[in-house]
Amino acid sequence: MIRTATIAAITLLLQGAANAQMSHHHVSESACDTTELRCATKVTPAFAPDGRLWLAWMAGGRILVANSKDRGKTFSTPVAVVDRPLELDWGPDARPRMVIDRHNRIAIAFAIFRDKNFNGEVLYTRSVDGGHSFTKPEPITPNTESQRFAQLALDADGSVFVAWLDKRNRAQARAANRIYKGAALFFAWSKDGGGTYSEARMVRDSTCECCRISVAFAGPGRPAVLFRNIFPGSVRDHAIVTFKDQATPGEVHRVSQDGWKTEACPHQGPSLAISPKGTYHAVWFTGGEVRKGLFYARSADSGETFSEPMAIGRLDRNASRPYVVASASGTAIAWKEFDGEKTAVKLITSGDDGKTWSQPRVIAATVDASDHPLLVSDGHDLFLSWMTKADGYHITPIDGAP
Amino acid sequence: MKRHLLLFALALTVSFLPQYLAAADQLRAFQRGSWQTILHAHAGRPMMVNFWGVTCAPCKVELPLLGKFVRDNPGLDVVTVNADLVPNAREAVLSMLRKTGLLSTENWTFSDGFVERLRFEIDPAWQGDIPRTMLIARDGKVTTLEGIVDLAKVKKWFEAQMNETK
Repeated sequence: MIRTATIAAITLLLQGAANAQMSHHHVSESACDTTELRCATKVTPAFAPDGRLWLAWMAGGRILVANSKDRGKTFSTPVAVVDRPLELDWGPDARPRMVIDRHNRIAIAFAIFRDKNFNGEVLYTRSVDGGHSFTKPEPITPNTESQRFAQLALDADGSVFVAWLDKRNRAQARAANRIYKGAALFFAWSKDGGGTYSEARMVRDSTCECCRISVAFAGPGRPAVLFRNIFPGSVRDHAIVTFKDQATPGEVHRVSQDGWKTEACPHQGPSLAISPKGTYHAVWFTGGEVRKGLFYARSADSGETFSEPMAIGRLDRNASRPYVVASASGTAIAWKEFDGEKTAVKLITSGDDGKTWSQPRVIAATVDASDHPLLVSDGHDLFLSWMTKADGYHITPIDGAP
Repeated sequence: MKRHLLLFALALTVSFLPQYLAAADQLRAFQRGSWQTILHAHAGRPMMVNFWGVTCAPCKVELPLLGKFVRDNPGLDVVTVNADLVPNAREAVLSMLRKTGLLSTENWTFSDGFVERLRFEIDPAWQGDIPRTMLIARDGKVTTLEGIVDLAKVKKWFEAQMNETK
């Protein structure tokens, strides 16, 4: 009796202690809490015009930047964009964005949570001294409603295009007692390498609010933005808009009829690439009635119409986070799959501008948490950029890739 | 000696009890294997599991409705799981549960950085979109509902399950 009571008491004690410890344990996707690259949760790569590889990462509540002259074998001493911890936007699709122009100016945009309700604020900063120092981050817009998922892209004339999701119209709708769903797609331009940005302008109201957006250039002055829209009836399928010129967004076209009617946050945005021939390549995730999983489609008419979606990856292995790149030598798509124990990055390639594709092959794997797999080109070779908790950061040239 | 041991054990238990209850009753750590723990604990009883997150806007619309549903329908097996991996979200999660009247429900929070594995254990096809509701029938059959659920339909489902019991 006494022994039973003792064992019961000790069991309860141990359970309680374990539970309390678990509850207070810092649950993290990162390997460590400091600011080194190996502690990062999100790493964004970009090759500069001079061939140098730049990384911007989130670690220890900060955004850090470093560069490599030897394609990722060694890196410069990291520089923190802000010398204090920030309430960074940790959403699954959030990450710092970065472009480097031909004057070696580094433009960065990232989001923080501005309040305890997780409303976001997009901040931008710039370095003009080769990444040794950065300007004090400033809001991308004076408006104080939620902004998230900023995406930067460099135009041929050196202008920096920024697009993001902005909830300012929700506040107005609320004040007028109207129902408002989602957010709005906004944009601005910088003519000084990311030092200042023009006034924010809206492209489209009522888009999905919790997914990354993707930008590619259809030609000089003509960014194209792929985003998860909210179509009538709360259908969160993808749409695309191509600018006619820097000031004029074109018509919004639907990419596919997936029929994902949902009042949920998918937390998983699309990826877009445009080949030198002008072919649009789009990849996305849907849980629609018509189709579920990852899909690819191409457009030969500047995004007006898209091909029948092609399924990518295994649905029963949680195929996720698709990413596409296109160059003169070919097109490539990477994504993640999880088999219950490990996450693998798979790749398919196309040598005919997306008409036909190779069989999938595994190019990397890890046994713990990982960032989205990203593909990046230095103009000659294609690399996989992938941050993993267990194995650190990889920047790996892909053999036999286009 | 035996009596001393018993007293010692009891004292230890009492000293840790509030902490244990706080951890267990308000917000439990959802880790590898927790999904099976939940399924076993409610086996044979119809159960509704709501997956939500502090950064998810539709969840902020749904949770107060769920809070009212729980108040209006005491005795039903309702479980919530915060599936949003935001660091140090514990206070934000508890605050949201408190505000929506769900603090005394069985509440869990994702507590493993490897969220893919947690989600895979629940449903290999689930990519992390929230809110998401799973209705687990007495016989274990799972019905998954994406987005904000129609709680009137959930109530009918519970009633149908109860009628089957009779």
